[in-house]
Amino acid sequence: MKSLITAVLVAGVALWTMVEAGATLGAGTDVALPEQGTPPEPLVIVVNRMNPVDDLSFADLRSIFLGSRSYWNNGKRITVVMREPGEQERRVILHDVCGMDEEQFKTHFLRGLYTGEILVSPKTLDTPVGVRKFIFNVPGAIGYLRESDVDPTVKVVRVDERLPWDKGYRLRVP
Amino acid sequence: MLNLKAIIPAMTGQILLRGLIVLLFNSTLGAQQTSGATSVDQQTIQLLLQRIDQLEARVAQLEANEGATALKNALPPSKAADSATSRETDTNPARHNALSQSLASLHAIAPLAGESEQAPSENAMNDRMDLSKTLMRIRGFGDVSFHGDTQPGDNTSFSMGELDLFITSDMSDRFKFLSEVVFEAGPDNIYGVQVGPENSFDVDIERYLLQYSYNDYFNLAIGRGHTAIGYYNNAYHHSSWMQTTTERPFLFEFEDRGGILPIHIVGASASGRVPSGSLGLHYVAEIGNGRESRNPLEDEPVQNEISDRNGKAFNLELFARPEAWQGFQSGLSFYRDRLLPTGSPKIAESILAAHALLIRPKYEWLNEALMDRHAISGTPYAFNTPGFYSQVSKQFGSYRPYFRYEYLNVSRNEPVFPDVALRHGPIAGLRYDPNESVAVKFEYQYTFLRNQQGVHGLTGQVGFTF
Repeated sequence: MKSLITAVLVAGVALWTMVEAGATLGAGTDVALPEQGTPPEPLVIVVNRMNPVDDLSFADLRSIFLGSRSYWNNGKRITVVMREPGEQERRVILHDVCGMDEEQFKTHFLRGLYTGEILVSPKTLDTPVGVRKFIFNVPGAIGYLRESDVDPTVKVVRVDERLPWDKGYRLRVP
Repeated sequence: MLNLKAIIPAMTGQILLRGLIVLLFNSTLGAQQTSGATSVDQQTIQLLLQRIDQLEARVAQLEANEGATALKNALPPSKAADSATSRETDTNPARHNALSQSLASLHAIAPLAGESEQAPSENAMNDRMDLSKTLMRIRGFGDVSFHGDTQPGDNTSFSMGELDLFITSDMSDRFKFLSEVVFEAGPDNIYGVQVGPENSFDVDIERYLLQYSYNDYFNLAIGRGHTAIGYYNNAYHHSSWMQTTTERPFLFEFEDRGGILPIHIVGASASGRVPSGSLGLHYVAEIGNGRESRNPLEDEPVQNEISDRNGKAFNLELFARPEAWQGFQSGLSFYRDRLLPTGSPKIAESILAAHALLIRPKYEWLNEALMDRHAISGTPYAFNTPGFYSQVSKQFGSYRPYFRYEYLNVSRNEPVFPDVALRHGPIAGLRYDPNESVAVKFEYQYTFLRNQQGVHGLTGQVGFTF
């Protein structure tokens, strides 16, 4: 009986904490992205030109950038390319796609590698040119660039059926 | 010249084109010289020069077309066109045209492709062949605790926790090696019975797996790993830094620390996603040696090298991670084995476990329950050992207060681990993360025991990764 009462208490505390945190199921993230003064520019999801993928849902993006999906439909291994910590583009991906901050993202990958659920950690590159070059060279690579950094060496992918210049495109970088 | 017309449209490089024409021109002159002609046909030369101009113009046109094709290729094929027509576009023409302008410069491709930087896969292959480099990546975990409790005979002590070396190696794109080598102090505690000397360090290879990854739906592993019973066992492994609390729930305690479950399995497993859309179903199927049948008591409970029976244990787990509910996971697992204790009837072991949890970056709520059933063959006797725990925590900045209640009820007549008995109680604590590699935890525990005084305990722990 005591166990039952305590279990009910635990459940109550848990529910209260959820309500207090505003953490409803299916809601977005609880990580704040600092406001910036400059007008936002679309953040473009890019893949290797040989990759047949045209469109990814936001859920696909999340599972790819969090390492829970490791292969494209054509069997190629996915290699995620990230910019270095502190870069605005990376912060947008962490916040809008992964729902995490930098520390949580690192811990997530450490935990995933530790459990064996994640096969490889993301490749980190420090410039847009480096990102383009890497994606050009690696058939399974996926990364992100500001719209102004995109060139024909990479292929732009729609996100939730929207191109970067479409209204309602969700990824924008200050 | 007719052949040249056919060839040239396929050419994309101006240099190649010019080279071919120069060669042709030279060969024409040479032919004229060998025939003994003394005057150059000015009209023919003029025609050829005009032809060169035409062809150069043609090459320029082809290059421009290729630039446009590259623009289309940068966009999802067959859908680029409908973007401007079927969907309302951004009203800023400068931004709208930014991609087109940048994509039009096809010259960017040549230097990128021409640079001699090797593709990463080639570099990886070279690294694998280079005997002067190691393929291993090592991550370490450790902890030091200070603990005191009211259990008669216990003294307050500083305790060295497990020093865990987590080693991985990408042997190829598909094969990976993973292991955990753990140095741990103190005697083993097998089903509540102390085995071995105190204060000495032992080395255990806790995980030792060769993994093969075919795709997201099928992965194989062979070796020694953690059995996919419930959630906790395959989520936290041997790192106290990674888990919120100072200790694992006693339901999932390791075999050599008094745990009742076959935490480790030596064998093979298959795992992956189940095509299920947004439901996010995953499966794990394992077969292995199962636990030692406990005869004699001091034997290693995990059968690493020799099994005491021909039959194998198996475990099946199915869990869901729905896309719509970020951080939610729920699942079931069923483990089956047959133990052969010396001088006793066979024991059929069945473990049914269920879990439901919600883990967000700043929030955690874990709930697991299981039933471990031991049925003695040839008799009507069966012993059910129920257990559960519920744990909740929430992060406030660098602080994370947590609470857990756990319960385990082992019958006095249980044939495999009667010494464990009944235990249940709450723990409450605070975890503080001063940086991303160190966690400081303070925890209070109270444990109810069958026919004994309850035990109060306090633990301080520093866990770290390096």
